[in-house]
This record gives sequence, structure tokens and C-alpha cells, in this order.
Amino acid sequence: MSTLATTADRGTIVRAVCIREWREALGNRLLVGMTVLPPLVILVAGIGAVAVAALVPPSEKDVAALYAASPAVIGLDPKDAVQGIIATYFLILFMLIPTVVPLTIAIYSVIGEKAARTLEPLLAAPVRVGELLLAKSLASAIPAVIVTWIAYAIYLGAVSLLGSAAAVRAVTAPRWILAIVIMVPLLTLLSVNLGILISTRVNDVRVAQQIGGLVVVPVVGIGILQVTGRVVINNESFLGTAVFLLVCDALVFFLARLAFQRENILSRWR
Amino acid sequence: MGVVLRTERLTKRFDRLTAVEDLDLEVREGEVFGFLGPNGAGKTTTLRLLCALIAPTSGTAEVAGFRLGSHDEQIRASVGILTEQPGLYERQSAEDNLLFFATLFGLGPAVARSQTERYLRLMGLWDRRAEAVATFSRGMKQKMAIARAAIHEPRIIFLDEPTTGLDPDAARTVREFIAQIRGEGRTVFLCTHNLDEADRLCDRIAFFRRTIIRIDTPADLREELYGHATEFRITPSPRPEHLVQVRAVAGVTDAHLENGSIIVASADPLLVNPRVVRALVGAGAEVAYVSDRKVSLEDVYLKVVEGT
Repeated sequence: MSTLATTADRGTIVRAVCIREWREALGNRLLVGMTVLPPLVILVAGIGAVAVAALVPPSEKDVAALYAASPAVIGLDPKDAVQGIIATYFLILFMLIPTVVPLTIAIYSVIGEKAARTLEPLLAAPVRVGELLLAKSLASAIPAVIVTWIAYAIYLGAVSLLGSAAAVRAVTAPRWILAIVIMVPLLTLLSVNLGILISTRVNDVRVAQQIGGLVVVPVVGIGILQVTGRVVINNESFLGTAVFLLVCDALVFFLARLAFQRENILSRWR
Repeated sequence: MGVVLRTERLTKRFDRLTAVEDLDLEVREGEVFGFLGPNGAGKTTTLRLLCALIAPTSGTAEVAGFRLGSHDEQIRASVGILTEQPGLYERQSAEDNLLFFATLFGLGPAVARSQTERYLRLMGLWDRRAEAVATFSRGMKQKMAIARAAIHEPRIIFLDEPTTGLDPDAARTVREFIAQIRGEGRTVFLCTHNLDEADRLCDRIAFFRRTIIRIDTPADLREELYGHATEFRITPSPRPEHLVQVRAVAGVTDAHLENGSIIVASADPLLVNPRVVRALVGAGAEVAYVSDRKVSLEDVYLKVVEGT
């Protein structure tokens, strides 16, 4: 008596799990909303702020405050400088998208399976837990990265149309393009694996989101420091941040991999 | 029949709790093997061990020709498991659920589709294949979960309480399915609390509480524990002296009163029962009828597992 089963190609397994995750996510209106809403809000607010700054010249008081907060822009045309600052500020908010969106997807992915008791049949198939973890990570990360990149592209287009030369220079600065291309995937992976790690320990989506939400704090902090001129992200610090994120990614993935063991999932996860 | 599953001193401990202890077991190819025991006896843990979902603390096992611990992936490919909860993806259709698992089990797209159709038809769910599983009744979900466990034609299929909570019609479909699997020469490892079902379906039964207490065919278990029992119905009712007379008959191993009848146990009823009838008639009893008394598997279970 023979079985039809064979060991499926690893890529096929990862692809199948990813597609299933996406189908499941698309059927969850709350999750779709929480994926689309943050980028949409940031995008609308960002474009709106640049447009308003282009239409309404800053007052002398605003300019004084701007020069005090950002000595680097002294000497520039105030209107240009304001638009440049606003455009840059919203670019920093774009870096929040890869921390918030994939976190939610990853949390739903694990806690959802725990609640529905779907993990045991999945683990009974001839798949490796590393493949499942990878598939879940990719299923959460890919939409977040794509959504961020699309939002950035729209923002870039809108600022080019509406903003001043300083604003366009700010959003097309090579450092920011590199940040979007390199930092966004790194932040996304960090957020995803953190979400998975937290989800192995708690059963409530809201609690997991609250704990995972702490990941945005350093990003906001760095952003505020940079906008206010207290920290200048140059090439060295950019590279250092990227390496730091890479190390964090590896560390959190390793911890998630430790928690995501077949026996742990079946015997200890509650 | 060859042995398709063998364990030797298989043990599983969780911290200080021993869930399975020194389990020695052999299951033959093509049999329906009943695995019975009280709640908390370690049945689910045993199933998880045998499906290579968790690792044993000590001991060895060979499942479908593969060694537990060194060929776990092959074991999982060779077995199917129905878990306590159906665990289906409720937002997805019945068809998508099965196609997904068929893919995980390495079935190519064409085979996956044909197997999905085969099992959905077998379970009477083909007409509702495009509907989300969330809209299904509990019985339909259970049938879906069984189809999922069988879609890759495993050599051994482990079923944990397959008919619990099902209506009679759905339960019958599941029992017919088990009979069909057995007819194909596959092995069914059945965990159940439904003793009537185990009696009807199983070739052999193991009573289990952390380890095997007793293992045999249902008929042999009855005979071993109760011998052959015969009911002698006396009208209007048996008197104490009738019982005394019966107990004195050579070959009677036990006799007691039960609901207006005398229940007589012996090793050779063909020889002993005529003697009992003669003794009763001689004592003035009106013997209305004599019938073979079937001991229920529940009686056997209680005697073995609960020690009653």
C-alpha cells in the first residue's frame, strides 16, 4: 500500500503557505483596513501638508521657529525651507508604515491560527517549521514593503507636482531613496519577526499589538532628532543604522525560530 | 498481514508528568485498530508521537517503515491525522482547503485536483465545494477534516474521536469511510470513546492508560474476561433455589441473577447449557427462553480500565 505523498519542493510549500495567508488576510476586513489605512493617512496628510505649505507662505514667527529648530536651513528661502522640512518630516512617517502594517499581519497570522486550531494539521504535513516561519514572515513582509513603496512613489509624484525645489530635493535625496529601498525591508522584517515572537506568548491580538507597537518608538525618536537637527544622519550613521537593523533582524528571527518549534507549538502554546 | 507500526518502550514526559510510559505496540497493515482509554490517558500524546509531531523522551518507534526521530518528514508524509478539532481555514472554500493540504503533501496540481474531487464526493460535499467552510455544520467540518487527513492516501490514518458530536447520518458516513479505507488495505488507528463504534469497526482493540493495559480482538476480550454467558429467562421469576441448583452444575463458572433472568457463564456452553436447563426444570423452574448473552464492550472496558 503506497501513499501519494512526496516531499514537496520547498519553494512550492512557501508559495502555497504565502498564498493561503494572503487569501485569509483578504477575507478579514479589519486586517485589510489596518493594512491600508496607516499608509493612506500618512500619504494624504503628507501631500496635504506640502500643498498647504506651497499655498500659504509661513509667517515670520514660523520662520524664526524653523531657523531655531533647524539651523541647517538658515539662508534658504523660508517657503522652500518649510516645504523641505515638511516633506522630510513625512518621509520619516513613511518609515513607520513598515513597522505598523506587517506587525498587524504577522500577529493575526499566528494568533489567528492559534485561535482556529489550524496549526496542528499544518504541522502534521511534511513541512519544516522553518519553512512555515519563513512563509509567514514573507506573507506579512511583502505586502508591507509593497504598500510602503507604492505610498512613497505616490508621495514622490505628488511632491514633484506640488512642492518647491527644496521639497523635491528632500524627497529624492539618495539617502532617503536608499532608506526606502534598504531600511524599509529591514524594518519590516524586524517588525514581522517581533510580531511572530510576541504572538507565540500571548493570545490576544490587541495585547500583541500594544507590545509590538513599541517598535515604532525608536523610529519616531530618530526621526524627531533628525528633523530638529539634533542628529544628522550622514552616510556613516546610515550604514551603521542599517547594520544595526540587520543584526536586530537576525537576533529576533533567531528568537522567533526558537519559539516556533513543532513541539512547543503543540504542547506549550495556549 | 505485515506490521505497519511498531513501538518499543516509547515514553513521553512533560516535565514531571509522564503522559506515555513504556508503550509496546504492534499494529498490522490493513487493520482497524481501536485505541481506547479514559480522558487524560495519553491517547492524543500517543497519536502526536506516532505522527512525528512531538519527540519521544525515550524508546523507539517505526511508523510505515520509517524510524521515528530520524525520518520524521517521511513519517508525516506516510500518515494522515484527524485531530481533536477540525482546524480548517474557515474563510476559505472546501476545495481550497483540500487543495492547500494536497500541495503541502507534495501532490502535483492535477493529482491534487482529482484527489480533492474524489474526497469531496466521498464525503458528500462536492456540491458545496466553493462555499466557505465557515458556513458548514459541525458534521460537515468533521468530514472535511477527515478528507484532509486522507487526501494523500496515507498508509496509516489516525482518527481522534471521528464521530464525536456528529448526527447519526454524518456518523454513518464516517463509519462507511473507515470501512472503505480498510477495504483499500490501509490501516486505521482509531481513538474513540464510542465503544459501540469501536466494537463494530475494530479488528483489534487496545485499552490504554499511559501504557497498554490489554490488547486483543473484541470477541477474544469478551471471552477472556467473561467467558461465554447465557441468559436463562424464568417465568414468572427465578427463585434463590434455582440459582443454587445452577451453580452446582458441572462446568458453570459463574451464575447470577439479573433482571428476572439467571446469567450463566461457562467455558463450553454447548456442553453446559443443556445441563443447566435440566437442573432448572428439575428444580421446578419454568424456562421461557435461553439466549446467548452478548457482553457489551462497555462492560469489558469498565472491567479492564476502571477495574470494576
